[in-house]
Amino acid sequence: MSMSMSMEEEQPKSRGKPIRCRAAVCRKAGEPLQIEEVEVAPPKAWEVRIKIICTSLCHTDVTFWKMESPPATFPTIFGHEAVGVVESVGENVKEVREGDTVIPVLLTDCQDCGDCNSKKSNKCSRFPFMVSPSLPRDGTTRFTDSQGEVVNHFAYISSFSEYTVVDIANVTKIDPSIPPNRACLLGCGISTGIGAAWKTANVEAGTSVAIFGLGAIGLAVAEGAGIRGATKIIGVDLNPEKFEIGKKFGVTDFINPSDCGNKPVHEVIAEMTDGGADYCFECVGSTSVAHQAFARCRKGWGKTILIGFEMPSSQLSFSSYEVLVSGKTIMGSLLGDFKPKTDIPLLVKSYLDKELRLDDFVTHEVQFEDINKAFDLLISGKSIRCVIWMDKKFPPPI
Amino acid sequence: MDKETQTNPSDTTGKPIRCKAAICKNPEEALVIEEIEVAPPQAWEVRIKILCTSLCHSDVTFWKMQKPFGIFPTIFGHEAVGVVESVGEFVEEVKKGDIVVPVFLANCEDCKDCKSEKSNICSKIPFSVNPGMPRSGSSRFRDSNGDVINHFLFVSSFSEYTVVDIIHLVKITEPIPVDKACLLSCGISTGVGAATKIAKVEKGSTVAIFGLGAVGLAVAVGARMSGASKIIGVDLNPEKAKIAKKFGITDFVNPKDCGEKPIGEVIAEMTEGGADYCFECIGLANVMADAFSSCRPGWGKTVILGVEVHGAPISVNSLEILRGKSIAGSLFGGIKAKSDIPRLAKMYLDKEIQLDEFITHEVGFDDINKAFDLLLQGKSLRCLIWMDR
Repeated sequence: MSMSMSMEEEQPKSRGKPIRCRAAVCRKAGEPLQIEEVEVAPPKAWEVRIKIICTSLCHTDVTFWKMESPPATFPTIFGHEAVGVVESVGENVKEVREGDTVIPVLLTDCQDCGDCNSKKSNKCSRFPFMVSPSLPRDGTTRFTDSQGEVVNHFAYISSFSEYTVVDIANVTKIDPSIPPNRACLLGCGISTGIGAAWKTANVEAGTSVAIFGLGAIGLAVAEGAGIRGATKIIGVDLNPEKFEIGKKFGVTDFINPSDCGNKPVHEVIAEMTDGGADYCFECVGSTSVAHQAFARCRKGWGKTILIGFEMPSSQLSFSSYEVLVSGKTIMGSLLGDFKPKTDIPLLVKSYLDKELRLDDFVTHEVQFEDINKAFDLLISGKSIRCVIWMDKKFPPPI
Repeated sequence: MDKETQTNPSDTTGKPIRCKAAICKNPEEALVIEEIEVAPPQAWEVRIKILCTSLCHSDVTFWKMQKPFGIFPTIFGHEAVGVVESVGEFVEEVKKGDIVVPVFLANCEDCKDCKSEKSNICSKIPFSVNPGMPRSGSSRFRDSNGDVINHFLFVSSFSEYTVVDIIHLVKITEPIPVDKACLLSCGISTGVGAATKIAKVEKGSTVAIFGLGAVGLAVAVGARMSGASKIIGVDLNPEKAKIAKKFGITDFVNPKDCGEKPIGEVIAEMTEGGADYCFECIGLANVMADAFSSCRPGWGKTVILGVEVHGAPISVNSLEILRGKSIAGSLFGGIKAKSDIPRLAKMYLDKEIQLDEFITHEVGFDDINKAFDLLLQGKSLRCLIWMDR
């Protein structure tokens, strides 16, 4: 089957049948992905098969790509931040149909359980968040390689493939007028950062914010905090180049811990913020940074929000005496406390209404064959978001 | 002497007072009742005649603390009620004869924290475990040899007279019996405040309380008042089960009876996945971890009230935090003493909260060590110590 067929021609032929297409397969931890032909089974009940238009690399992909032990599994098709078009749907799927533009989201939204029905949580209890090698409902897979061997899914999404199969609970329908290389960003990182500021922390006007780690998430936190009127947005990063980039996203002050000399970072932050930042965000995924973020936030009402995702079972240790006498709160944020199906379309609208800026997040764009470049760029700290276009035709100019 | 003061020979204004105090000279030793001298109040200070005081476990924690962290000799006690004997310069809020409750947590009512709804940790005189007066650092107590005796938590109520900064004092105008006012000075206010101000328990919530001492049972009182549907009490002492019902505990769990099953699982089964709010009211890092594991993913909040002084960290799994559980610590349950304690006094008088049942024992000052024994044996909730008996 030719990959250059348009959607209209493909639909009648591929519906209900396996699709042969290209996927970037990782066969060993830390090794470059290989573009291979895979077979993508048709969607079962409650599933949707999606033709990916473009996808972006998020650091969580890199974390699991590097991981030699479980829960990482190999061979795997990584990728979880993407936008695509529905190619076909399985039984019982009424929410979307062939031709709809959708964002697959790693955080499930069944819209039916206690959590999904509650305003207080976006953590679906029916299909709890986990990094799984298979699909949520029946635990089976839809990818096989040219030898007929199973290729694992990643985080229920697997967007580094021309086609993927995703549960309807992980699918959000969106307005197709948003450019794909902006839409894909909302599948994970940027939504997470904006939500962490808006929903988890609920940043108010006039407050001070300290952001540890100025990757896409940290910068999205800065953007979100700025929109809410935070007056001081301190970015902490070891990479001095992040300051210039940070300014575009609203970072007002920059601290490079290696430049502080003898003065500990917490003193620097305390001086800048009348005793400590009202909100501290950990956007790296390091337990030591998490502890620092806790230390830097202001006593009394300071909230430390942990976003970065390191090892799934990493333990955080806090002095319980310090927790008691400081009155600080420690909380986490998954996908910025957004409910994918209701909130991501609102973010799309916000972008289209020119309230939310997304353009500056995309620093690089490559074609699918060059997907490993995206890894190099992210690991070397040179990119914020590198968009990977699946189609052979190069994307239209921005 | 100032002409305006009475020329009453027993007027002690401006003079040191000789009185009895219960002094702890070494860690974990029985307190010794001795005569001491209490200096007059300096600027911003108030000298108080203590009417009654009660033993709080935080006194015991520091009473046990080995040197160098433990400071001795010290006059312990921080939960009390008294009458103003005299005031130092600049004190206008209270005058001689006023009923006052001293508190360990300052409330200047003027700094950013005191003015904010979101914090009760006064920045003017931050919380610390300090052997002297807050502003000067010096002590107002001397023993019969003229040697310094240390203060405790800015209160030192195990003495017939003490000196307290006005920032640590609450004037009581409500007609509340003094022994009930005494209880509002620390433990019970902490528990009620933690439920209503820190956790903000809503109607229908599920709550799990680890440690059914006075603080834990006060959390139950606050949770019940807020309409919690399930209030689970967790304690190793089976006798707590009976008494706990009086305070609103609906279910009692003794971890010893759970066999191999971790407490988090037990609580999860009782609450469809975990409690909405968990409170640690003991001060042990491993119990804090248990409390954290018992709260519900998605929105469960764990509130730390217990004082953990051994430096043991609370260790939590980062994935559970990402999954929506949060941890908050609270000193004094979010209570701003000068506004909230009078409010709690009124709530007691309006029968919205109970205080009487917390008083399980009463002793005279000379028998103060009995209060320690009773608490250490788990036999009492609050033992009142009456200075005049």
